[in-house]
Amino acid sequence: MRLSSTIRGIGYVFGSVKEVLAKANAPKSGDLLAGIAARDPVERVAARAVLSELTLRELREHPVVPYEEDELTRMVEDTLDEQAFRAVAHLTVGQFREWLLETKTTGPVLRSIAKGLTPEMAAGVCKLMSNLDLMVVSKKCEVVVRARNTVGLLGRLSSRLQPNHPTDDVQGILMSLREGLSYGCGDAVLGVNPATDTPESTAEILKALTEVMERNAIPTQQCVLSHVTVQMKALELGAPMGLMFQSLSGTEGGNRAFGISLGLMDEAYAMMKAKRYAPGPNVMYFETGQGSALSSAAHHGADQLTLEARCYGFARRYEPFLVNTVVGFIGPEYLEDGPQITRAGLEDHFMGKLLGLPMGCDACFTYHAAMSQDELEGLKVLLAAAGCSYLMSLPVGDDIMLNYQSTSFHDIPSVQALLGKRPAPEFDAWLAERGIWDGGPGERFGDPEVLR
Amino acid sequence: MSATRELIAGLKARLEASSPLEPPPPLAKVEAPPHRIFPTPRTRGRFAAKAAAHTTALVGIGHVGTRYATDVVLQFQAELAVAHQAVYTELPESFASQNGLLPLQSRVTGHREFLLRPDLGRRLDDASLARLKAEAKRGVDVQPILADGLSAVACMGAGVELLRAFVTACEARGLTVGTPVCARFARVWLEDEIGEVTGARVAAILLGERPGLGTGDGLSAYLVHAPKLGKTDGDRNMMSNIHARGTPPADAAKRLAVLASAMLAQGTSGVSLDLGKLHGELGDAGGRGYRAPQERVRLVEVRK
Repeated sequence: MRLSSTIRGIGYVFGSVKEVLAKANAPKSGDLLAGIAARDPVERVAARAVLSELTLRELREHPVVPYEEDELTRMVEDTLDEQAFRAVAHLTVGQFREWLLETKTTGPVLRSIAKGLTPEMAAGVCKLMSNLDLMVVSKKCEVVVRARNTVGLLGRLSSRLQPNHPTDDVQGILMSLREGLSYGCGDAVLGVNPATDTPESTAEILKALTEVMERNAIPTQQCVLSHVTVQMKALELGAPMGLMFQSLSGTEGGNRAFGISLGLMDEAYAMMKAKRYAPGPNVMYFETGQGSALSSAAHHGADQLTLEARCYGFARRYEPFLVNTVVGFIGPEYLEDGPQITRAGLEDHFMGKLLGLPMGCDACFTYHAAMSQDELEGLKVLLAAAGCSYLMSLPVGDDIMLNYQSTSFHDIPSVQALLGKRPAPEFDAWLAERGIWDGGPGERFGDPEVLR
Repeated sequence: MSATRELIAGLKARLEASSPLEPPPPLAKVEAPPHRIFPTPRTRGRFAAKAAAHTTALVGIGHVGTRYATDVVLQFQAELAVAHQAVYTELPESFASQNGLLPLQSRVTGHREFLLRPDLGRRLDDASLARLKAEAKRGVDVQPILADGLSAVACMGAGVELLRAFVTACEARGLTVGTPVCARFARVWLEDEIGEVTGARVAAILLGERPGLGTGDGLSAYLVHAPKLGKTDGDRNMMSNIHARGTPPADAAKRLAVLASAMLAQGTSGVSLDLGKLHGELGDAGGRGYRAPQERVRLVEVRK
């Protein structure tokens, strides 16, 4: 295999496919922290040139974490759709990029190859694409899922309502919930990050969310984002659970740090399918974010973009209803500033969609990252234009428990109106019936007392 | 003339003949929008008043079209500016000695590097290591460390008060306390190396926490038993939100001393520390991620 290239007469030689992938990655502070980034912009292009000549088959044969060392690598390799793989195996990454961009490569075509792609292939081609390239291909990917409503249809933009509270005060949670619903938010999920990770509090919050849903006949699904083992216990307590949640990492070691494994997730999924509240068929909700493997020193010298793609390889095993990249949450040591967070949001959305997942994005930053509110608003519009399935929504975008800035209740209708998008059809009809929103603000828009 | 050229000529003639837009209609005097302001106890509506009893989330704020009222925008921008200011303020080099503390610095040399290289913020630079070895008391029960963390503003605010109160509370419980130090560009895990060098049984780092909106003055404390390089987050107990609107420093100091005593008595810390019996005495210090509720403060006032 050739792993060398020349730029202006200077030769660049790379030791492994993993090194090529790392050095071809767009600039990320996390790759610098890991000591694996290209040393300068020219070496980055030299690595991209080498990457563009590798075939998809070669990427499959060289996963960034060896088959023998990692259960995720084994699962992806052993369950890959061979027929779909054979259709594209011979393409170089450069040719694959061009094929993805061709007009005749439509949504249904992309859907038919999704299960034949490994995460490394999605990450590889991502590194050869500009932000607008990523948006153009993402928009073509059709990923439609159903729980109590239908998310991901063309021309739709959904939102997670995130009414977090620093002490899980249920009344406080419901205040934010009602406010958000009155702005037309919450069709992807009513999802609370709990401050206390116990089965009892998880069950208590789920019951409170369910009461509001049932009293007001809201066609959406509910979720409390505690650890999956805690949710399993809550299910045993009889808690109504629309979606089961877990954070995922891109390596076996990274997942161990999260307290999960393939075996545990298989068990959790089986239990959720048996005890779910929503009809489904999609009942799982996953969150990811570049840098999680490095933060637990389980990155195996691989770059954070490729490891992020491996989270999606893990997620797709469970046919989730939602997958969300919490793009700016991890901090500036992984994504330093506005341009890096913007790029990562578009990359993650692209890779997830290409691999067949219902991708949403928590467009966000922590207060020690160098990103402005204006830049963050820009990212929301870019994501929505690229066909992102859903965004988050909070009171003024401020998470009072997790202390970071995300999308607001006001941003969702603003972006929808700007791009002519509508919420999930079932929820859309409910909003119109309640006088909240019908392609524009209704009489009760922004009036939380419309909710009982 | 081809059909296309004819079509283009026709279009041109039509567009030049009249302005592409009709002239706008005359407008009567615009009525000033109703006075909407960021909800305060005096001005908020029914829903906002009810919500304020349960949450600091900004709800019941209304809307202008689909966007925020001007007053809400200003409050929001002020809150972010306060948070950013806290992150970007550096702890002056002279701060430690002015407060009678042994000055230390991590391997970080500048503020950007501090944000991007947590690994360097977890280790002492050579000069600090030598000074710590030469000047600090050895073999104590508790090694107190004050540090900037992600908010030097918080460190300079109530940091010294918290440190002194913590030392006093530990001594009152009969614990031996090491030489108080103050570290610049410090991450939580720096306590591992400092505690290992001084041979302390428990290391306690008190440092500025990552600011939230409008809250740059919060301190956190992380305690670890048998400190040494290689300890992880699961080995630590922490208390966050130490400031006037959360847990005041004097209360926090007492609870942290209880926590240190429990670590010494049980010979462990983190997930394996049994806090069951100490719940009443510990309060918030028993948590590993608890954040107390706080009042949201209006930041912007204009006087004409």
